[in-house]
Amino acid sequence: MNFKRAIYTISALALLFGLWGVFVRLTTGHREAAYGSYVVWGLWVAMYLFFAGTAAGAFMISTLDLLFHIKIFKGTGRTALWVGLVSLAAALLSIWLDLGHMERIWKVYLQGDLGSVMAQMVWGYTLFGLLMLASLYLSIRNPQSSLLRTLMIVGLPLSLFVSGAVGALLGVEASRLFWHVGLLPVQFPVFSLASGAAAMLVVIGLFGQKESPNRSEQLWVLSVLTVALAVVKLYFLWADFSQSMYGNVPQNVEAVRAVLYGPYWWAFWILQILIGTLVPIFVLVQPKLARHNGWAGWMGVLVLFGFAVARANIVFPALTVPEIQALTTAFSGPHLTFDYFPSLMEWAVTLGIVGMAVLAFLIGEDRLPLSSKEA
Amino acid sequence: MLGVLEQQDVLVRMHAELQRALKKKPEERRWVMVIDLRKCVGCHACTIACVAENKLPPGVVYRPVLDEEFGSYPNVTRRFIPRPCMQCDEPPCVPVCPVNATYKNNEGVTVVDYDQCIGCRYCVTACPYGARTFDFGLTYTDNTPDNFPFLFGQANADDYERHANYEYGENRQREGEKSPIGNVRKCHFCLHRLAEGMLPACTTTCIGRATLFGDANDPDSLVAEMIASPNVMRLKEELGTEPRVYYLV
Repeated sequence: MNFKRAIYTISALALLFGLWGVFVRLTTGHREAAYGSYVVWGLWVAMYLFFAGTAAGAFMISTLDLLFHIKIFKGTGRTALWVGLVSLAAALLSIWLDLGHMERIWKVYLQGDLGSVMAQMVWGYTLFGLLMLASLYLSIRNPQSSLLRTLMIVGLPLSLFVSGAVGALLGVEASRLFWHVGLLPVQFPVFSLASGAAAMLVVIGLFGQKESPNRSEQLWVLSVLTVALAVVKLYFLWADFSQSMYGNVPQNVEAVRAVLYGPYWWAFWILQILIGTLVPIFVLVQPKLARHNGWAGWMGVLVLFGFAVARANIVFPALTVPEIQALTTAFSGPHLTFDYFPSLMEWAVTLGIVGMAVLAFLIGEDRLPLSSKEA
Repeated sequence: MLGVLEQQDVLVRMHAELQRALKKKPEERRWVMVIDLRKCVGCHACTIACVAENKLPPGVVYRPVLDEEFGSYPNVTRRFIPRPCMQCDEPPCVPVCPVNATYKNNEGVTVVDYDQCIGCRYCVTACPYGARTFDFGLTYTDNTPDNFPFLFGQANADDYERHANYEYGENRQREGEKSPIGNVRKCHFCLHRLAEGMLPACTTTCIGRATLFGDANDPDSLVAEMIASPNVMRLKEELGTEPRVYYLV
């Protein structure tokens, strides 16, 4: 069994598992979920942030070819757009399943309040998705079209806006000090670009065309970008956490401590920092390994994994800190806890969405004319 | 002693004030709740009354009572803080709603339009008081054996849970995944009771008369009198949310 076929099989199995999860979700509502009224957003929201960020980042990477015409990236634009579209679909599916009333999503479009950051984000991502779709269509049918260039020019700031809006979605919440950081809308586009670069490392490293003359250079440039952004990400983390600890505001300190030393400390130190950041940095700073298809590709996988964990480490800790300490014991009942670990249904749905996204990417890779001959 | 007994029960006074307030235009009223922490004994009767009045399912609570303990032996004391929705004048939960499902009504009470709410729970994360809970669709009789359907068991027992609660004056049956299941829910000062000239359930049930309710725009009302005291405080005032729930300490 070759590598691609193995990925097809694993993704299909993940999708099957996910279908079971979606079945449970649709037949039992949110009853089987582990999130509750205190930790009110769970795995699906974190994955929404992750996929939406990757979509925006993939678009940013596509501009290297389709807008800036950087020679070594020639031929990668369509693939990046496809990655962005697939990622955006995964993001929207993840957040749609999280809604209490999925059938009312149309209200955000027809009866929405554009003063709400969430409404702005929904509108922004919808426009962004349509723009990516149109860009992909034009890049396949008429790559020289001036409309394509216009779409890319409009799309670049739009991708910054939508990824920033995700940061703003959390940042505007003054009651959650862990989120209420002025720089969050600035950090998120950086995270997006980093996950877009990592996604392209995976795509080019593991699924790229063997005959592509630029492949090793592309991997090297993407590796440098990934490492640089990983260092920036570490700096942001340091700045955020050290300021919070120094400021010593109890609610904020408690959230930071939950990340660093809480019951899920291993998710931060081992998954996010060690596996998702330090190992890839160590490998990708070595030019020989960074240019190696397999090494670069798998490091991209690790970086993406680290970003997914990082999103969870942004969403959950703020919610695990009680708004008022005595709330923890004031009233007991199902879904009234400040602890959270995703339920089997939540894992199933998320794995299914990942499986669906990988399958959709592979099918697009095989069936759509994504790679140009010049590449 | 006799003098105290001869005093009019505050419930009678508040009831009369309520009738007076209801004669005014809704926008001219300013509903306010005052909770005297020195009188609260932590009996949780208000919590239970609220659950019964609004037929709240498991995991949904509008008015928990926070139990705080201070000091160390032998100097130990406890304080009970009932925590309804603060009905903030600057509510952080309102502007974040993507579909205007939660808003301040013309009486200044923050309400939820169950048919408009998409269940995104953004408002829950925005509330600094933890005053909003999500209806996961559970019932207290879930998993009850159903061996004798005509006498015992879920089929009979959960009828009560499915009866309409008349929140917001609506006859809303609780079934399937229909609203309010899948919605965010919160205290609304028992608007449906106010409309009928009754005080909120938590107020009438309070055994220590610690919970007071009325129209603060009425200068002769008990609540107007109370919130002018120097020993009044509001939760998290520093956030600028301007709560309409006051505590006497």
